[in-house]
Amino acid sequence: MLFNSLTFIVFLVIVLILYYSKWFNWTNKKRILLLASYIFYGFWNPPLVILLWISTLVDWTAGKQLAIEENQRRRKFWLITSMVVNLGFLAFFKYRDFLLDNFTTVINTAYGYGYHSEPMDIILPMGISFYTFQTMSYTIDMYQRKTERAKTFLDFALYVTFFPQLVAGPIVRAKDLITQFYKEKRATSKQFIWGLFLLTIGLFEKVVIADTLLSGTSDMVFGSNKLLHGLDAWIGTIAFSGQIFFDFAGYSTCAIGIALLLGIVLPDNFKYPYASLGFSDLWKRWHISLSSWLKDYLYIPLGGNRHGIVRMYVALMITMLLGGLWHGAAWTFIVWGGLHGTYLILERLQRQYFPFKITRWNGIFLAFITFSCVNITWVFFRARSFESAWSMIKSMFYLQTDGEKILDMFSIIKVSIVISIMFLCHWFMRNTSLKEVSLKISPYALGIIWALMTFLIIIAQGNSEQFIYFQF
Amino acid sequence: MHLKQSIIIAFCLTTILVAGWEIYWRSTGRTPSINDDKSLWAVERFKVSSATENDVIILGSSRAYFDIQIKTWENEIGKAPIQLASTGSSPLPTFHDIVENTKFKGTVLVGVTPGLLFSTTYPEAFPWARAQSKVDYYANRTYTQKLNHILSIPLQENLVLMSGDEEEWFDDIDLKSLLRSIQIGNRISGPKMPPFRNFGETSIPRNMRMMQKTIQDTAFANSIIRVWHFFGKTAPPPDKDSTMAFFLKDIETFKNRGGNLILVRCPSSGGLRMGENKGLPRKDFWDELISKAQVANYHFEDYPQFKKLICPEESHLSSKDADYFTKELARLLISDGIISKQP
Repeated sequence: MLFNSLTFIVFLVIVLILYYSKWFNWTNKKRILLLASYIFYGFWNPPLVILLWISTLVDWTAGKQLAIEENQRRRKFWLITSMVVNLGFLAFFKYRDFLLDNFTTVINTAYGYGYHSEPMDIILPMGISFYTFQTMSYTIDMYQRKTERAKTFLDFALYVTFFPQLVAGPIVRAKDLITQFYKEKRATSKQFIWGLFLLTIGLFEKVVIADTLLSGTSDMVFGSNKLLHGLDAWIGTIAFSGQIFFDFAGYSTCAIGIALLLGIVLPDNFKYPYASLGFSDLWKRWHISLSSWLKDYLYIPLGGNRHGIVRMYVALMITMLLGGLWHGAAWTFIVWGGLHGTYLILERLQRQYFPFKITRWNGIFLAFITFSCVNITWVFFRARSFESAWSMIKSMFYLQTDGEKILDMFSIIKVSIVISIMFLCHWFMRNTSLKEVSLKISPYALGIIWALMTFLIIIAQGNSEQFIYFQF
Repeated sequence: MHLKQSIIIAFCLTTILVAGWEIYWRSTGRTPSINDDKSLWAVERFKVSSATENDVIILGSSRAYFDIQIKTWENEIGKAPIQLASTGSSPLPTFHDIVENTKFKGTVLVGVTPGLLFSTTYPEAFPWARAQSKVDYYANRTYTQKLNHILSIPLQENLVLMSGDEEEWFDDIDLKSLLRSIQIGNRISGPKMPPFRNFGETSIPRNMRMMQKTIQDTAFANSIIRVWHFFGKTAPPPDKDSTMAFFLKDIETFKNRGGNLILVRCPSSGGLRMGENKGLPRKDFWDELISKAQVANYHFEDYPQFKKLICPEESHLSSKDADYFTKELARLLISDGIISKQP
């Protein structure tokens, strides 16, 4: 079910009525939320709810054993069982064709065979990368004794399945979410209204900015088979840069808002990332719940910065390469991760050998440089193949002088204005929050802005376009 | 933070803005209409799963969609057909879907618009991709999409602001279309497509009728004609061999399982007809197809009652003429024993 659909509006209204009705006690309300979450997921493809059940059962059992088991070997067995099941799902549903394809390529190259791998075209369960990472964090934390075991199966099942963040995050840690299910939650009137406001902002970002203002230009440029003029390539790339931010941040904002309507608090997933001062800063601001997951469960176990500089760089690069692969089963995503890994290493080298102080004067320039470098990585993220990515890169740096102009002037102006406003907003908001800003403006101004956003969402209509991150 | 004040202001202002928007578009003469989208097509396609040998499926492009009227057909034949024709599309992907993915062995009436049917079998080419996207949508549609469609129908029937179309008409009123209509300068070289305005109204069950404006307003009709001429000048050459081979293979399979196929060439007129005669001559395309397909066929030029029909925008019949064409075609089919009248 998509947040930007009529079905979801009806669904949410029914859930809220039942949740706030006096007929049910807290346990039954949680059961309603769990059932609603399965319906939310099943409305897309009912049989795939079984994967959620398996994941839930395996990790509940593993968590239970990890809580009572003292024998280290048995504890390891339960951790590995959880990892095998969750990563097995990912490997089978998401990476099977990719792995097989690369395997046959290697075999054919090495031994000269003429094998052909037959793609299975298995449907990719929506949001599988999100909920498997979330539930794995529970068993890993249990193994490391960093979190308490969930009190009841219902609490744990709801943690795995909680519909606002089920298919595209934020990836929430057990200690931050399960504990919220222990006591009855009711949103205060302020929380409820703020939740509605966040839901409106999220939908505005998705429906109006990402889908209406930016997606057409980005799709046209990245869908073109022509050698493009440099301006067209840059505009298409920054349009995608904005599209993916507003699409994903829009989803996260909706998720946080919907959870707040139920009195549940979810963590921020984005903090104005396009005004980052360097790449370490970027990964503290972009998809925060994934980057912190990768840091805690991959980078640190790989040694982090505890074993010297070289080992740290290796750990950093492996983390970013796997982070790229998490997004999609293709080499272009791995290159995307590799570029970010390279940026992070270069940034650390710069800090070591050419340190300089960031002031308010050079800050915006540095943020702009960071944003520009991030745009280059998006080309590999969005392009359908290396050939088209490379063609785009060549166009962007004017190595192709005979590039074709495919964008009209209005599209160029529209995208440039939207992206400039986005960049400046991120810059001016980088040390504050939406809540702080809204506290400073008058309720009338906030009401007018809210009304304009709602009006634009309505007239944009939207065709229930899927969120980009659902496919990851 | 006085959020209660803000939400009250937001609610009141949104109501005023939305009401104003609706009133403004109604004041320009617009009325609520059903969107001709994939969801509507999928509802019709679903009917094929329970269709019997007595059912008729209509395939083709916009001519079969505008010219064959569901109500009139039902009055003549006794049962409403399943309307699966799609604007700007080749009928081949849809016919292939019916042949490969269903057990239907009733009657399929394919409207032959030569410029589209013989255009291509390349999956990414527009006439093919457009029809295939509907087929794929039906195969993969989720419960959410089904429910969204059901929930959106009352809104589409009652609100002008809900009108938006996959055709992406120049005069659509959703935000994306309104922005698309803004033109600054002339950066892109090459031929530029003239504004393509909506000239049909869709209703449920899926049926298309020409807007009265197209008949009464010559300037408006001429703006549509300019689009046909643009397509005529810019379309790639037809791929007769591939399309014919693809179609004939499916026809063979369909006939072998007892299916009844009818090919109908709906009227076109004026400069467009002249262009068709030049680029896709009847002898080389239609005649060759019917000689190889060996199925019932009707070309409008072969029947005096159809020959006289004039298309207001050279490609589709007015609603009045579409009723006449449907009635006469149904009578011909019955009298020729191609289909029988339902009790």
